[in-house]
Amino acid sequence: MKIAVCIKRVPVMEVKFVITADGTRVEETGLKYDINDFDLWAIEAGLQLKEKHNNVGEVVVISLGPDTAQEQIRKAMAMGADRGILLKADSAPADGLAIARALAAELKDGGYDLVLFGRIAIDSMNQMTGPMVAELLDLPCVTNVFKLEITGATARAERALEGASEVVEFPLPALLTIDDGMNKERLPSLKGIMAAKKKPLEIKAAQFSDVRVSITKMALPADRAAARILGDSSAAVPELIRLLQTEAKVL
Amino acid sequence: MSPSNIVFAIILVVALGFFTRSAQRLNRWLKIGRDENRTDHPDVRTKNLLLIGLAQTKILRDPIGGMMHALVFWGFCILALGTVEILIQGLYTPFTWDLLLPRFLYLPYVVSQELFAVFVLIPVAYLLYRRLVIKPARFSGDPVHGGDAVFILSMIATLMVTLLIIFAADLRTGASPDGRIVSSLLLPLFGGLTSESAHTVSRVSWWIHAVLILYFLNHLPGSKHLHVLTSLINVWFSNTSGPGRLGAMRPMDLEAEDAEQFGASDVEHLSWKNLLDGYSCTECGRCTAVCPANITGKLLSPRMIVVNTRARLTEKASTLDAIGVGGTATAEQQAVLDKNLLDDWITEEELWACTSCRACVQECPVSIDQLDIINELRRDLVLMESRFPEELQPALTSLERNGSPWAFSASDRAQWAEGMDIPTMAELVERGEKADILFWVGCMGSFDDRSKKITVAFARILQAANVRFAILGQEETCHGDPARRMGNEYLYQMLAKGVIETLDGYAVKTIVTFCPHCFHQMGNEFPDLGGNYEVIHHTEYIERLLADGRVPLDTEHGERLKVAYHDSCYLGRYNDIYDAPRTALKRALPIMELVEPPRTKDRGLCCGAGGGRMWMEENVGKRVNVERSEELLATGADQIAVACPFCMTMITDGVTGAGSTVPVLDISEVIAARLVPGGVTA
Amino acid sequence: MANVLVFAEVRGGELRKVAYEAVTAARALAELSGGGSVHAVLAGGAGIDAKAEALAQYGADSVLVLEHAGFTQYNPEALAATLAQRLESGTYAYGLFSATSQGRDLSPRVAAKLGVGLAADLTGLAVTDGAVVGQHFQNNGKVIATLTLTGSPAVVSIRPAAFQPAVNARALATEAITSATDPMASRVKTVELKQGSADKLDLNDAPVIVAGGRGLKAPEHFALCDDLAAAFGNAAVGATRAVTDEGWRPHSDQIGQTGRNVSPDLYIAVGISGAIQHLAGMRTSKVIVAINKDKDAPIFKISDYGIVGDVFEVMPVLTEAVRKAKAEG
Repeated sequence: MKIAVCIKRVPVMEVKFVITADGTRVEETGLKYDINDFDLWAIEAGLQLKEKHNNVGEVVVISLGPDTAQEQIRKAMAMGADRGILLKADSAPADGLAIARALAAELKDGGYDLVLFGRIAIDSMNQMTGPMVAELLDLPCVTNVFKLEITGATARAERALEGASEVVEFPLPALLTIDDGMNKERLPSLKGIMAAKKKPLEIKAAQFSDVRVSITKMALPADRAAARILGDSSAAVPELIRLLQTEAKVL
Repeated sequence: MSPSNIVFAIILVVALGFFTRSAQRLNRWLKIGRDENRTDHPDVRTKNLLLIGLAQTKILRDPIGGMMHALVFWGFCILALGTVEILIQGLYTPFTWDLLLPRFLYLPYVVSQELFAVFVLIPVAYLLYRRLVIKPARFSGDPVHGGDAVFILSMIATLMVTLLIIFAADLRTGASPDGRIVSSLLLPLFGGLTSESAHTVSRVSWWIHAVLILYFLNHLPGSKHLHVLTSLINVWFSNTSGPGRLGAMRPMDLEAEDAEQFGASDVEHLSWKNLLDGYSCTECGRCTAVCPANITGKLLSPRMIVVNTRARLTEKASTLDAIGVGGTATAEQQAVLDKNLLDDWITEEELWACTSCRACVQECPVSIDQLDIINELRRDLVLMESRFPEELQPALTSLERNGSPWAFSASDRAQWAEGMDIPTMAELVERGEKADILFWVGCMGSFDDRSKKITVAFARILQAANVRFAILGQEETCHGDPARRMGNEYLYQMLAKGVIETLDGYAVKTIVTFCPHCFHQMGNEFPDLGGNYEVIHHTEYIERLLADGRVPLDTEHGERLKVAYHDSCYLGRYNDIYDAPRTALKRALPIMELVEPPRTKDRGLCCGAGGGRMWMEENVGKRVNVERSEELLATGADQIAVACPFCMTMITDGVTGAGSTVPVLDISEVIAARLVPGGVTA
Repeated sequence: MANVLVFAEVRGGELRKVAYEAVTAARALAELSGGGSVHAVLAGGAGIDAKAEALAQYGADSVLVLEHAGFTQYNPEALAATLAQRLESGTYAYGLFSATSQGRDLSPRVAAKLGVGLAADLTGLAVTDGAVVGQHFQNNGKVIATLTLTGSPAVVSIRPAAFQPAVNARALATEAITSATDPMASRVKTVELKQGSADKLDLNDAPVIVAGGRGLKAPEHFALCDDLAAAFGNAAVGATRAVTDEGWRPHSDQIGQTGRNVSPDLYIAVGISGAIQHLAGMRTSKVIVAINKDKDAPIFKISDYGIVGDVFEVMPVLTEAVRKAKAEG
């Protein structure tokens, strides 16, 4: 089985972010980075599929990102991916379709049976690149997959909805986006880390065209102030409901 | 030579021949393990040999059983002289030491033999009684060779009895009574014998004694009594009482070009010293009896770790011997070779139950390092196989991403210091100033609400004493000790090296911390990675400040309190710090009564959080922290004092869980509450 | 003057609440562009046209009904093709979707087919110089980016619950449309819709979590949390380490430290004091409500709303109020 997994280098989220002086970006100094959580599950899914096929085939990891994204590709290889490709771009546009075009160009002639993405990148939170790539490559596409069964050239997946799920059938080759609950990613062993240093990593330049979405401003949400105490008994409940509905907008 | 001499010569040659083969075999098997140099600091090693080995200091930790064994051991040493005499007599019947020694030496020699025959016989009889009638708990619970112990004790008893019979019978046949203080008392028993019959009795006893000795010699290599031959050697080569820093984990070179194996999954990955530990184990069970995991019903038994290491070595090495060099293995033999120490003899469950409290190492009378084996197997599980309890994954991932075992933001680290006017090292550099000490806060002290109070209390003490100190603030990250204890040496070295770089960047010389794990890691294990600092635990630092009178305390007022101090494992058994915290408490609370729980100081029971267990669930048996908390509460103390944030968490949980309201306080909180003017409430 | 094509989400033959939110937002977007028509696309099996009336109530000038057996279940390929074809026909300036699991599957396909930009999961909409401007959470919700989307048509998706549905009735006007591709020939076939049971929502999926701590005093009182969760309908029940250690709840329910890290939209902490181990596991929740009788409990430091009261008194009242609010919504 030839499987491509598209991964992204994202900042570690357990930090207090700072906005740059010009108010358009998040300050990058001091940030630590890792593979996007959902992409880790996609890598794990790819590795498990290859293992199920008696380890015949390969798992190729592709990442569009800066030079430093090589770290993330090496980590994927330490988990077990066979080789990696970096589509180098010092800064990626905010336009998901432009990114999808760059990835699709690389994936087009790869002869992949399966192309895997994480459902969503926790930094951009666009959740669109996967299905867009599928559209550009005219591949059957299923998103939010948390269960997968492949028999020969057909497959069955279960995809997550809000409080429900759908069972879907589709032919291979296909593109899937992998969701939480699919699996638990393996941690790279020391052996894997050492082996990854020697696996092939190709670097190519990424091409972008027709960018239509841009970020014109970046801001921090209002600080998490200490709780507004609404009262000291059940009499406060109506006010709580009202605030949850109108202010917090979660009800 | 008479015919009997010739017969004896043959027996001697055969016995020694068999023994030599056994010794060669045991030595060959040891070489299966990895090489390591243990000849450094011969002075410290010799001191250990004299104290632990010859003076039996560790054996004597068990007062009665220990004294009995010590007598048997000393007896063995003294009676060895007599044994040599007997063996030479086998070849040349008239031989006695009298022929070679001057009178003033020979007489004491005779007395020593007489006395120690009794000083061995009586303890052996007691030890048999203990095994067969009293049946102490630590002799059961593990599948060890109790039958062998009874056999050996009976053999020794027989040796002593035959010896005394020889002495007494010889008196009957006219041997000199000088110095024969014991056998003279036995003489009347032989009164009814003729001189000839007495001679026969003596000869028979002699033969039984001599042959039994030669048999005994050859029984040793296959039994737990091998320790008779290896224990003194083991004590000399052991590091558990020094040289070097106690409890420092084995350094590991991750860069080594051809390194294929990290940690140990089978005996060839352990060092020869680990394997020698296996030979030297007497199966006494003292380690298991003090193991907090075993006490509370977990599968782990430190004794079995060592016994199983020897068993696996025997299994594998004897199979290799059978196959021979260049031979081919049968299917059965291959199956044996394919097994592993890990999983087939020692299970994951046992390995993860360990809290690394070092009580087992502390107790072992022959200086075995059980923890070393456990750690090497953990390293294999984590580094080679990524096999570890699920609960550790969030902590390991967080360490990698956030530099802390908990998912907190680095920017929150110095929040506790708000309003306290404490400079960071970076700020000092900007101002062109320097600090005398770095106050290392640690992750618990930075993020845990309860521990933050300790941080504040200690900072207040430092300020009251006008100490010029600074903190790293947001630049502080975990030094990786939790990862190391969990077996992830790779992550540990990454984090530790990062911290060393930061510390060296500020040319830090002296560090004070209140977390014993940070204290141990930076003080004892950093040097292996090139980080050399003077690291002081806050209890010792406070004690120094109090002794110098630099901390203004109100020691007049206050009620008469009973305080129980819980020893932290990483302060106590790892660093021999037992007194400073107690002295500091006494200085702060002069009308305090310090009460000790039954298991205290180097026998203190662990709180259960060490060895990475702070991040693991406890699903089997009783909670370790509950066991310890009950013990502390049973002292009737009004307050419980601790010196470690992990202990604080575990004991507080245990005390609250028991429905008690006894406050659990850190030493610095006790002290800070008595600062004048004003004082600081915890 | 700009027309908006809005996709109304259907599940199991019923319109979802987000469909009304989407129509409301489409209406607002049309107004922001100087007025225009809102056309809603309603796809489903036989009889789906009966739902068109409800869409007209919220402001759809016309409902384009795509009725075919092949749309009884979600049919992304045929829907994407049809929507793209419609949008391309030129009369629409915007295509608007809900940023739900379905909407975020469908909208990228449509945008890619048309080669136009997509601004997803917006919490606010504006139009400046013909470009759509919207706010969008990034970095796990820790920063807010303002996106500008140029070109026409522009495709956007709006975050559920960001736009409250507003009744804005129009006369019902429907138009039957046909699928751009044969719905039965789609390669991806949805064969089954599994409605979830509210009581087994996973902690990491649930948009709402009701978590209980030691303040509940005894395991049987967890029923209070179960009831509140049931009232929400899409909530999972979690627990602190203190209570899972006691055995009141299984370890798989534990939030924090050795348990799970969760990030729901709404987290209700019931009788939880807020020890570090627990906070580490839930502090990135969007909205946190705490009920605890200790006003100094650390949980209040990171909550948005709090009631310093007796959980046994507050919880039943809260449960009833949520039940009512959900029924009305």
